[in-house]
Amino acid sequence: MKASYETAALRLGGKELRSRFFLGTGRFPSPAVMQLALDASGAEVITFAVRRVDLESYEDDSILQHLGERGLTYLPNTSGASTAEEAVRIARLARAAGLGNWIKIEISGSPVTLLPDPIETLKATDILANEGFVVLPYTSDDPILCKRLEEAGAAAVMPGASPIGTGLGLLNPYYLGLIMEGAKVPVIIDAGIGSPKDAAEAMELGAAAILANTPIAKAKDPVKMAQAFAMAIEAGRLASEAGRVPKKRYASASSDPAGSLFLQPASVSHGGEGY
Amino acid sequence: MKERAWSDFELYVITASTHHPGRELVDVMEQTLIGGAGMLQLRNKTGSREDVLREAAALRKLTRAYNVPFIVNDYVDIAIQVEADGVHIGQDDIPFEEARRLLGPDKLIGVSTHSLEQALKAERDGADYIGVGPVYPTNTKPGKAAVTTAYVTEAAAQIHIPFVAIGGITLDNADSVLEAGARRLCAVSAIVGSEDPAAVCRSFLNKIGQYSGYAPQSVTIMLNGEQRNTSARNLEELVRELGQSHKRMVAELDGVIVSRGMWRNTVIQPRADIELIQFVGGG
Repeated sequence: MKASYETAALRLGGKELRSRFFLGTGRFPSPAVMQLALDASGAEVITFAVRRVDLESYEDDSILQHLGERGLTYLPNTSGASTAEEAVRIARLARAAGLGNWIKIEISGSPVTLLPDPIETLKATDILANEGFVVLPYTSDDPILCKRLEEAGAAAVMPGASPIGTGLGLLNPYYLGLIMEGAKVPVIIDAGIGSPKDAAEAMELGAAAILANTPIAKAKDPVKMAQAFAMAIEAGRLASEAGRVPKKRYASASSDPAGSLFLQPASVSHGGEGY
Repeated sequence: MKERAWSDFELYVITASTHHPGRELVDVMEQTLIGGAGMLQLRNKTGSREDVLREAAALRKLTRAYNVPFIVNDYVDIAIQVEADGVHIGQDDIPFEEARRLLGPDKLIGVSTHSLEQALKAERDGADYIGVGPVYPTNTKPGKAAVTTAYVTEAAAQIHIPFVAIGGITLDNADSVLEAGARRLCAVSAIVGSEDPAAVCRSFLNKIGQYSGYAPQSVTIMLNGEQRNTSARNLEELVRELGQSHKRMVAELDGVIVSRGMWRNTVIQPRADIELIQFVGGG
C-alpha cells in the first residue's frame, strides 16, 4: 500500500495554500481546455492580465466568465507596464474591480528578453505594499535585489528561472539557491520553467511554489501536463522536506560490504556494486 | 387633447396673480395662450379653497377653448371637480401614489424635483413629467436654493420622461438653460408679470425653437487611448453605442473606477478620459 504524506501548507498573504502550483491562464487553446487544466493542476492561485476591451470585437474574451465559483485566489499581473507608475495603476484597477488585493508586479525592461526592470519593480513594490496590497514581484534572480524587495514589503519574491516563455529551465540554480537561503519570505519561481523536471528541481532547491503558464498551455495535451506539473511540484516539495543526500565525488556502496561472500580485506574500501 | 399629444408642449406657464395687480387672471392667462403656451398650471397657495375652485373652473373653460392641457397645483380634489388634465405636486405635498389613486391612470401628474435623486424617483413612481429647478433663484419661491443648470444637464442625460426647467428663467438666461439641455421651459413672473404676456411667450418659443431638432451635442473624448466622438450622454449609453454592453468589463473615468450600477448616472463631459478594461488570460 502506498503511504501518503502531506506537505506543509504555504502561508502567503494571510492565506493557507495546499497547492504550491500557481497557474497562469494565458495562451491555452480554448477556455474549455484552460478550465480542465486548471482542475487537473489543483492550483488555488491563478494569474491573469489586465487589458483594454477590444472594441472592434463582439466576443467577450474576459477570463473571469470561465472561472466560476472555484474559490480561487486571483493574482492579476501588471504585464504591459514599463514603469512603476503604470504598474501601480493596473494594480489599483484590479483591486477596485473586486478581485482581491494580490498583485504580481511585472514590469518589463526589454521587449526582447522581457526581463523585469529591477528599479521600477522595487519602486512599485514599495508603493503597493504601503497601500496594503499583497505584493508578489516578478524579479531577476539577483539575491541582493530580492532582499531589497523583501525589505520593501513584498509578500514573496518571484525570481525567474529563465526569460518568460523560453522553457530554458533553471539557468542559475546557484543564485536561486542563494535567494532561497537568504529570504525570510517565500520564494516562488516564476517564468522560464520548461517541464515538470524543472519544476521539481526548483522545488527541491527550496522554492515555496512554482508559477507556470506556457509549458502547460502550449503542451500537446495541456490537461495532462497540468497534472504532471502538479505531481512534480508535490514530489519536489516532499523531497525538499525530506532532505536530499549530499553530492559526492566518488561512489559509495548502498549495500554494506560486511559479510560479503568474496570479501578480500585489502579491497573493501573500493567496493561499489549494488546502488 | 385628442389632436396633439400633451407632451408636445414647449412652454409651460403658471399663474401668479400677485405679479399682475389690477389685471384679471383669466385675461392674463389668455394672453399666454395666445402667445403659444402649451401647458397651463393654476398655482394659488394663498387663496381660499373657494377662490381656487372658482379660478380653476374659469381656467378650465379657457384652456379647453385653446386646446391646452390644464394642471392644478396641489388640489387633487379641485382638479377632479373641474376635470383638469392633471395635478402638479411638490416634494412635500400629497404622496404620489395617493394622488395617482385619486386621479386614476389617465390624468397627468407632474412632480417638482430639486435633485437627480428626486427626479429618478419621480420617474420610477410613474410621474408624467417633472419640474427641474429652481434653476435660478426666484421670487416666486424665495429662500429655495437654486439647483443651477448643472442639474438641467443631469436631467437631460438621465431622465426619459418630459422635464420642464423652472425657476428664475427669463428671456435673458433662457439660452443657458436650453444649452444645458432643457427643451421645455417654464416661466412665471417673466411672463405673467410682463406688460405683454403674449409677446414674451412668443419670444420664449422662438428661443426654444432654435434648439429643437438640435441634436444632442457630440463630444470628443479619449477612449482606451484613442480620440473619439460620441453623442452618448452617459457611460451606459457609450458602452451601448459601442455594442459592448454584453461584456464583462471595468470602466475607468479620468482615473477613477465607475461601478457598473453607476454608469447610467455618469455624465460624459467633453475631453473625458475613459478606459474600458477587462481581465484576460495571462501568466
